[in-house]
Amino acid sequence: MLTDLETKLLGVMMMLIMLGMGASLTFKDFRIAFRKPQGILVGLACQYGLMPFLGYLLAVLLGLSPPLAVGLILMGCMPGGTTSNIFTYFSKGVLALSIMMTICSTLVAVAMVPVLLEFYSGLRQLPSEYKVPAENVAQILVVLVVPTLIGMVLRKWNPNVGATVELLGGVLGVVVILFLILTWVPRNHRLLATTPADVYAAAIGIGLFGMLLGYWLARLLRQDPRRSRTISLETGIQNGPLGVLIVVLTFSGEMQQQVLLIPVLYSLFIVLTSSAVTIWFRAITTREDLARDQAKVQMAPA
Amino acid sequence: MTAPLPALRFNHLADLARKSSARFANQTAFTTCMPNGMHGSLSYAEVDRLSDAFAGYLRETLGLAAGARIALQTPNCLAYPVVAFGVFKAGCVLVNTNPLYTPSEMEHQLRDSGAEVLVIVDMFANKLEGILGNTKVRKVVVAEVTQFFGVVPRAVIRAVMKLWNRVLPAVVVPHVRLAQALAEGETALQVKPGALASYVQGQGLEALAALQYTGGTTGVSKGAMLTHGNLLSNLEQAYAMGASHIEEGREYVLTALPLYHIFAFQFNLLCFYAAGARNVLVPSPRPVQNLQRAFDNYPITWVSGVNTLFNALLNEEWFTAFPPKHLKAAVAGGAALQGVVAERWQRITGTVIAEGYGLTEASPVVCFNPISGVRKPDSIGVAVAGTEIRLADDAGKPVAQGQPGELLVRGPQVMQGYWQRPDETAQALRDGWLHTGDVAVVDSEGYYRIVDRKKDMILVSGFNVYPNEVEDVIARMDEVLEVAVVGVPDAQSGEAVRAFIVPQGAGCDEAAVRAHCRKYLTDYKVPKSVKLRTEMPKTPIGKILRKALREEAR
Repeated sequence: MLTDLETKLLGVMMMLIMLGMGASLTFKDFRIAFRKPQGILVGLACQYGLMPFLGYLLAVLLGLSPPLAVGLILMGCMPGGTTSNIFTYFSKGVLALSIMMTICSTLVAVAMVPVLLEFYSGLRQLPSEYKVPAENVAQILVVLVVPTLIGMVLRKWNPNVGATVELLGGVLGVVVILFLILTWVPRNHRLLATTPADVYAAAIGIGLFGMLLGYWLARLLRQDPRRSRTISLETGIQNGPLGVLIVVLTFSGEMQQQVLLIPVLYSLFIVLTSSAVTIWFRAITTREDLARDQAKVQMAPA
Repeated sequence: MTAPLPALRFNHLADLARKSSARFANQTAFTTCMPNGMHGSLSYAEVDRLSDAFAGYLRETLGLAAGARIALQTPNCLAYPVVAFGVFKAGCVLVNTNPLYTPSEMEHQLRDSGAEVLVIVDMFANKLEGILGNTKVRKVVVAEVTQFFGVVPRAVIRAVMKLWNRVLPAVVVPHVRLAQALAEGETALQVKPGALASYVQGQGLEALAALQYTGGTTGVSKGAMLTHGNLLSNLEQAYAMGASHIEEGREYVLTALPLYHIFAFQFNLLCFYAAGARNVLVPSPRPVQNLQRAFDNYPITWVSGVNTLFNALLNEEWFTAFPPKHLKAAVAGGAALQGVVAERWQRITGTVIAEGYGLTEASPVVCFNPISGVRKPDSIGVAVAGTEIRLADDAGKPVAQGQPGELLVRGPQVMQGYWQRPDETAQALRDGWLHTGDVAVVDSEGYYRIVDRKKDMILVSGFNVYPNEVEDVIARMDEVLEVAVVGVPDAQSGEAVRAFIVPQGAGCDEAAVRAHCRKYLTDYKVPKSVKLRTEMPKTPIGKILRKALREEAR
């Protein structure tokens, strides 16, 4: 786990990165994202329909012990994480859609997360008195929205400043992701050595299957491939830190340690899986861009 | 005969540069817009001052004489107008050179033109090693895409180009940076007041302004000799076609096509500099997403383009969802504008797209659909002011009304000939008539339609087959992305029709194509063979090179 100082530092970094992400966006990008608002609804369906069920299903299939199952289901019920926006940016996805999805899923989290947790915990007769800290949810929104807006305004005011901020944000994003990847093994080798295989499968699987199923559900709901890839990343990448926080507020003692295991492992592995998926998605988007560049004109409806 | 040629407003191109710069002094003349939105700009007054300095550098620092050839080899960037106008102010001759040329193509053009100075963008300067010694070039001036940008944007873009894209190789040949050359020129002029005016003293319209290289139809690339009179006449001719939609000093024109190409050179650079427009230069329009920031950040009112560019824009959601609000008109040239593209463009942007026709040898505009007035789809429009057009058969006799014939042009925009190539000149220019090699038909209202290139016509057992007709039919197949039709030698029929196809998706094979063609075409026009390929050889502005395909087939 990260120290308190590191967590704070990471928070500041995230704001700077989001400033850069915002600087890559125009208000028109959001209007384009809103032209097909179904995208956001599809995203919500993936986020709060698919993911919690996936968490529950994995817990059942792997026969996880109650504390581990709670941790897994909890991760499934989390809103989208801010890092999904960074990965969407690098994968050349629809960033405006990703940000809107993160905002929406976080907004409804206050109401949605307790309901879902009660429901799925009830199915497995698990303890069910969850505290979802509204002020932390609000904080996530501020950290997300304010820098994005400032970035967008910067860009509109002066494209040279905007492009520079975007570039710096991007570089910082890569640095932070690399830092997380490169430091987590030495930091956590004891934890990693003692964790059983089924826990690994659960922690990695929920992110990976989330992305896979999120993509196909989005395609099924008639989203275009680029939007579907955006929704895929958004679905698979959950707000890990929020999950950890809820566990800390809800449980205590030995139980807390056990429930925490999957959210912590998830947060570690999702950076790896998302990075790999991002590189892959980016290549696909680049290929599609070039193909579109040369495509025949079609008499499409206005 | 069409309307008479309007009076020329300028005595030579240096005069155009000076008068416009004085008139619109404080307005922004050029803005280079990079794909990420970073930009740099020059005002009319700055362009004037910097191009003066470059003229001084050529004549004083380097001691060149009037008429010396200066090759300019950059993509669209702020250095381009500064150097081009500097060359004209020095009384020298501009040799536009494609930056994507291979070293051997560069060597040919530099040797053929006898260029003494080469202004080249740093990205491609590494191609000079090994060929420079075979040319007359005695000074290499190195320019940058980010020339005249602010310190920070320049540093950021160059860092990205160098470290991430790796497109800034070290320049190993002896050279001077453009900024340095300009400083030297400025200093030289300070001690010699009055020198600037003397460079173009008494220069007439008949003076050579540019050698514009063109492959034409005969293999080797040759320089069309365009005079100040040719280019300025064509400026007025082209201007007259769009004047109703041009408010002087208020326009924003998007320059996505390369300025080294005659279309953008005449239309975007000369016409709109005369009109006091702000020219938004995009260094590379491929992929077309590179244009998004230009459309986002500037209220573009005019666009020039070729079919492929308009087509690509219409495939972008950011363009079609929120088409440019301030757009007034678009002009298309270079290659035939497809009916579907024109129709969809007009529906989505709500503005006119007018197709014209021209060629390097005619500076370039010959025909245009008037922006306000009758425009006919699939037509290249009417002859521009002061231009005569004749459709002739092989014997040079006029063809009957409605019959196809080779398009011949006579007018003030027609070149003086090919540089140091009397034989080719005699073939192209006969009694003042430029033989375009294009076959056209004309309707009763004087609107022309290009049928095909004469050279591309296929003779199958004595029957004429026009590749365009066959291509149009094949292009209707959904499985076909691009198609080109050429004639190949054939033992039975003399020549045979062969189709080259870039398929999209599966299901495109010889049998399907031939079956499709048989539905719409008489037997002898149906391709005898079909070859699938992954891409087409193309010119810098995206025209498919049938010539290269024919050579491949041999």
